[in-house]
Amino acid sequence: MNMLAQCGYLFIGQSVLYPGNSIYGTMNDVPEEQRLELPVMEDCQMGMSIGLSLAGQKVCSIFPRMDFLIIAMNQLVNHLDKIKDLSQGIYDPKVIIRTMVGAKKPLDAGLQHTGDYTNLLRAGLRNIDVVKLDSVSSVYPCYVEAMERERSTILIEMGELY
Amino acid sequence: MSFSQKGRMNKKELIAFENDVRELFLDKRIRFPCHLSGGNEDALLGLFEEVKPEDWVFSTHRNHYHALLHGFGPDKLKEWLCTYGSMHVYGDGFFTSGIVGGILPIALGVALGIKRNRGKNHVWCFIGDMAGYTGMFSECLTYAEGHKLPITFVVEDNSFSVNTPTKEAWGTGHGFDKRYYKYRRKYPHQGSGDWVVF
Repeated sequence: MNMLAQCGYLFIGQSVLYPGNSIYGTMNDVPEEQRLELPVMEDCQMGMSIGLSLAGQKVCSIFPRMDFLIIAMNQLVNHLDKIKDLSQGIYDPKVIIRTMVGAKKPLDAGLQHTGDYTNLLRAGLRNIDVVKLDSVSSVYPCYVEAMERERSTILIEMGELY
Repeated sequence: MSFSQKGRMNKKELIAFENDVRELFLDKRIRFPCHLSGGNEDALLGLFEEVKPEDWVFSTHRNHYHALLHGFGPDKLKEWLCTYGSMHVYGDGFFTSGIVGGILPIALGVALGIKRNRGKNHVWCFIGDMAGYTGMFSECLTYAEGHKLPITFVVEDNSFSVNTPTKEAWGTGHGFDKRYYKYRRKYPHQGSGDWVVF
């Protein structure tokens, strides 16, 4: 996350400033002024991420579980994936979305915290890259590619690799 | 069709424009769903006295008046409507969506970005009365107020969502039993002792 922070990214979501999930532990190198703790309002968070991008901010929007990202599908599918087409290219927001498939070991977080909807996202999104980080060695290059890519990216981390 | 002396169209010009669009639609030159405006000219003309050219304006599927009053040229708008349709009109600082309430959090994010960039411009977000009842509106209004964001929400109440009477659908009862209590938690969010993430 330090790499994104140095490039000016703003990290928004839950547990970016306060502890509560595995992702929080990866935020240590990010200056507090680049972390914005949001209320639990996933669809609103996705829309805000789009708006921040339209206003010129670099945004990494964090959804600690893929199950929670599902709640943001309205803004993800109807806007982030379609704005460039709908606006005839006038607007082309870019957001890096970070989420995680919850671990089942050593604690099994259950059906609502361990869902993996990667294939669902890949099937439904036309203009957003969906990238699964299924090995530790893939993490760094995938984040670099997400930064360099013009399109938005969903980066899916695996909780059991933490 | 020309702009009035103040640079914005006046009531007569707005009505004439929408009548022209109606004709384009009837002539099948607009081959998309078309939501015409009418009856709210005075209210909008008053509101747009405060809207500056550099401000952002967010609108809905019914957006022609907002586009015109924010500087979208009438000829350019007619061309857009005939080419791309009426529900999704975009321009410099002008953004729409056909999803009820869909613009709300995007407008909120732009306002947050303006504040973080120390910008001087403002966001105006126009929504319908049904969107004004949504949870999304409650979230956006609460966040905007709490963080003093440069945004104004305008609810345009024509009493209907499509053809559903908004208040009838929501009901008009009052005084429902709601309860609340506050307490100090003993344990952390998860687990029994120290903070444990999972």
